[in-house]
Amino acid sequence: MTASTIDNRDDLISYLHAAMALEHATIPPYLTAYYSIRSGTNSDAAHIIRVVAVEEMLHLTLAANVLNAIGGTPDLTLPGFVPTYPAYLPDGEDDFTVDLRPFSPEAVETFCRIERPGEAPGAGSRLVRTADRARPVLVSSPTVEGMRFYSIGEFYEEIIEGLEKVAADDPGLFCGDPTLQVGPEYFYSGGGTVTTVRDLDSARRALRAIAAQGEGLDSGVHDADGELAHYYRFRQLQLGRYYQVGDRPDSPSGPPLGVSWDDVYRLKVSARLSDYPAGSELARAARGFNADYGAFLALLTKAFNGRPGLLQDAVWYMFRLRDGFNRLVRNPLPGSGGLNAAPTFEVPTAVDSGPHAPRTVGGTPRAVTR
Amino acid sequence: MYAKFPDGAARRTDPAAAAEVLYDAVIVGGGIAGAIVASRLGEAGKRVLILEAGPAEDLTLRGYEAYLDRFYSAISKDNQAPYPVVANAPMPRGTDARRIFPGAPDASAYIVQNGPFATDTTYTRVLGGTTMHWEAKTLRMLPEDFRMRTLYGEGADWPLGYEDLAPYYTEAEREIGVSADVEDQAYLGITFDEGYVFPMKGLPLSYLDRMVAGDIDGMPVELDGEKRELRVRPFPQGRNGIPNPAYDGGKGYVPRGAVSTYQVEVGGRCQGNNNCVPICPVQAKYNAGKTLAAALRTGRVDLVAQAVAHKVHVDERTGRVTEIEYRRYDRPDSPGFTTMRARGRLFVLAANAVENPRLMLASGLRSSSGLMGRNFMDHAYLLAWALLPEVAGTFRGTNCTGGITDLRGGRFRRRQAAFSVDIHNDGWGWARGAPMTDLIDLVDAGGRYGESLRQGLVDRVSRQLQLAFMVEVPADPSNRVTVDPAITDSLGNMRPILTYDIPEYTMRGVAYARQLSKRIFARLGAEDHTAYDPAFWGYAVHTGEGYEIRGGNHLAGTHVMGRDPSTSVVNADQRCWDHENLYLVGGGSMPTVGTSNVTLTVAALCLRSVRVMLAQLASETAPIHLTSHGAARGRSPEVAQ
Repeated sequence: MTASTIDNRDDLISYLHAAMALEHATIPPYLTAYYSIRSGTNSDAAHIIRVVAVEEMLHLTLAANVLNAIGGTPDLTLPGFVPTYPAYLPDGEDDFTVDLRPFSPEAVETFCRIERPGEAPGAGSRLVRTADRARPVLVSSPTVEGMRFYSIGEFYEEIIEGLEKVAADDPGLFCGDPTLQVGPEYFYSGGGTVTTVRDLDSARRALRAIAAQGEGLDSGVHDADGELAHYYRFRQLQLGRYYQVGDRPDSPSGPPLGVSWDDVYRLKVSARLSDYPAGSELARAARGFNADYGAFLALLTKAFNGRPGLLQDAVWYMFRLRDGFNRLVRNPLPGSGGLNAAPTFEVPTAVDSGPHAPRTVGGTPRAVTR
Repeated sequence: MYAKFPDGAARRTDPAAAAEVLYDAVIVGGGIAGAIVASRLGEAGKRVLILEAGPAEDLTLRGYEAYLDRFYSAISKDNQAPYPVVANAPMPRGTDARRIFPGAPDASAYIVQNGPFATDTTYTRVLGGTTMHWEAKTLRMLPEDFRMRTLYGEGADWPLGYEDLAPYYTEAEREIGVSADVEDQAYLGITFDEGYVFPMKGLPLSYLDRMVAGDIDGMPVELDGEKRELRVRPFPQGRNGIPNPAYDGGKGYVPRGAVSTYQVEVGGRCQGNNNCVPICPVQAKYNAGKTLAAALRTGRVDLVAQAVAHKVHVDERTGRVTEIEYRRYDRPDSPGFTTMRARGRLFVLAANAVENPRLMLASGLRSSSGLMGRNFMDHAYLLAWALLPEVAGTFRGTNCTGGITDLRGGRFRRRQAAFSVDIHNDGWGWARGAPMTDLIDLVDAGGRYGESLRQGLVDRVSRQLQLAFMVEVPADPSNRVTVDPAITDSLGNMRPILTYDIPEYTMRGVAYARQLSKRIFARLGAEDHTAYDPAFWGYAVHTGEGYEIRGGNHLAGTHVMGRDPSTSVVNADQRCWDHENLYLVGGGSMPTVGTSNVTLTVAALCLRSVRVMLAQLASETAPIHLTSHGAARGRSPEVAQ
């Protein structure tokens, strides 16, 4: 084992900010695939993607609870919180990136890679060297430059060990204001519930829940409650059949499911604002979406800083985002070779950026290099 | 958590093999009543067969979404819009109602309406029954609703009281998953166990409710010498809200989401969509499929669907039911069927208050009281609509979150019917078809499109206020369901014939409701747009004033319970006086309908009856002698006149 990359509370806070950014970073790709599906079609696929997206929101909330518990301050409006897509995958391979893609075999393959059970190349280290620093990565070490984790699960294992280590030296580690915790009364997710965090045990539970829901950890296809891990949810789309409790990973035995790849709006992959014709109604809609998304992240930030009741307002806010998606994905994007528009998730730093092009967190908008 | 429906359960039971099984109980109907009885008997180790008239399809999320698609694309958004028309198990539709002229019954739709009053009463014949279109208001009945004769000299007394039913109300609230707060629901004598909380916290009042409450809370009303103040109160609802951690002594409650054969996660919380009726887009609203799935998971409950009960066979010597003869259609879209039989120790008719007496009467079983099919009740709805002086956010929230319930009970019931008042979050939808009619008018008459159309629609609908007065209808033996062997459906089953008039007692309540609506609108500064059309099918005149009366689909009273076999069809346990192994369950057993939507009470009555069924099964351990009529040799049924 290499030495821990976490030595103190500040390191933990950096890691937990990174955890929130990581959990959030999976949501725009899932939402893009979800809303690219033509309404009324692909029920199986739509529900699978939706559930995973909702559970990523749960994970985001759990990470915020841990961060609050150790006296950090969740902030989803920080520059760089929303990555610039395409971003690298966290699974140790350097030849795949996470794009904002319409629902497609490529998208499902990417989702499986995001959620795939981790296995470090050797027992030596969870960390591997980042190959190309020019591109953003989802799971990088916030404390050791140029290094990133092999899988999401290993990233969380690192945090858990860090928490144990720092808590052993500092009995006052869990000094956060308990009223900042988001409890199950404020957050609903189909599978899994919110754990409030006040000590090492509850922090471990919260973080292990994230890892287990994503990739199944070592608990197999289903967890103890019979809930299917994300990786296997997506595998169902590739294997054409639902899992049942007791199934082995390679042979689901539940009811068959169907995928209709053609009942999908063909979207421009990882579209950028610069792809939109300047001054067009479509460009206004795309900017409007980004502004709404920024306002939504600001709302969540307030919710995670003492106003958990605002998570109920977030429900109708998400309906607004859905409408924003629909305004874009149902319209062709001129000059894109017959593809449709899609949100770019270039979130302006100020919610009200006026009629001018928004300032984006990832630098100036630029075309995708693929 | 989703409600897992066992894969293939809708088709796995072979009717021919089932005919050779002596079930502990044979249940007719896969709605909430049948599902509750089946689940509890199954959990107690009993073998159960459910016969369901609707199509034999597993309940899956995909199947549910097919209902949704049908609803979204339907021109008419009526209660049955999501469900396919199956001629072999026809359903009444709200759109069927036609004005009836004396001497000319309307036989154009499934229910033959004999008049004199026409009703748009419906029920849904698919797996899950009418909970597939219900609104999911889950009001308990008032204690006084059980003692109407004694207290007010009107209607009938029940053979049991509120306190007898209270524990089963509690159990029903768990089964359905009710969201409410005790402090809002303890009024007019309704009591709860010490420390009781509902499974989930109350759903919030809508913005519209709160606008109305701003002016109405504290409004004084004097009726029959009793003074009271009105207030807008949230309704208890069978839709998933925030679980109350204090529920069940601190154990909490896990909401049940959608029903499916495969793992899904949807419906755990109400999202405030506005088409609860007929169909919740996410299944946050309870439907009986959730209970049915649990019943089938016991492994002891068999389901044969596409099975329409045709005749109840009775041993003439003992009065015991020997078998139910049913017609199993091969395909929903073709008339071919096979006659089958189902045998059991107990038989439970859980169709509904129209289909239960229809089947009994078609079997020649009129009850020695002569009351089978009589005392049909529904709620009489009076709508009143107005435009509020400012935007009130109408069309936000579920269909109905709050209302005025202060006139559900009181001494005035000596003279006139009580009512509960709904504030409709769907604006003038029920009265005038909003927002579709507003949309059509803006486009066709106003020539609007684009931004102007969107804004015009918001301007029009977001000030709409519609009050729905749900007025009680007392039992009247001449309001009744009958059959006629000459009037049958495509499977040869006799169709229900409804003879119905609105009693004067109800009309006095209706007239008072209209007066009250005018006072409420005046207090709100709202512009009253209510106008009752004499050509409307449900137009009724009372002391010179005409009203549009609509049905509530809260069917009750056709096999009323009582203490005396000569004045009732079933006893307090819903067991037939004439047939000791036959239970007629559901709204039909209710001697009064009160001012509660009936489903919660139906559920509570069924939960209560299950205890008795289990006791009866335990006591009747001796082998039962079965007289097999052979389905084809059944006598022609006697028919009520």
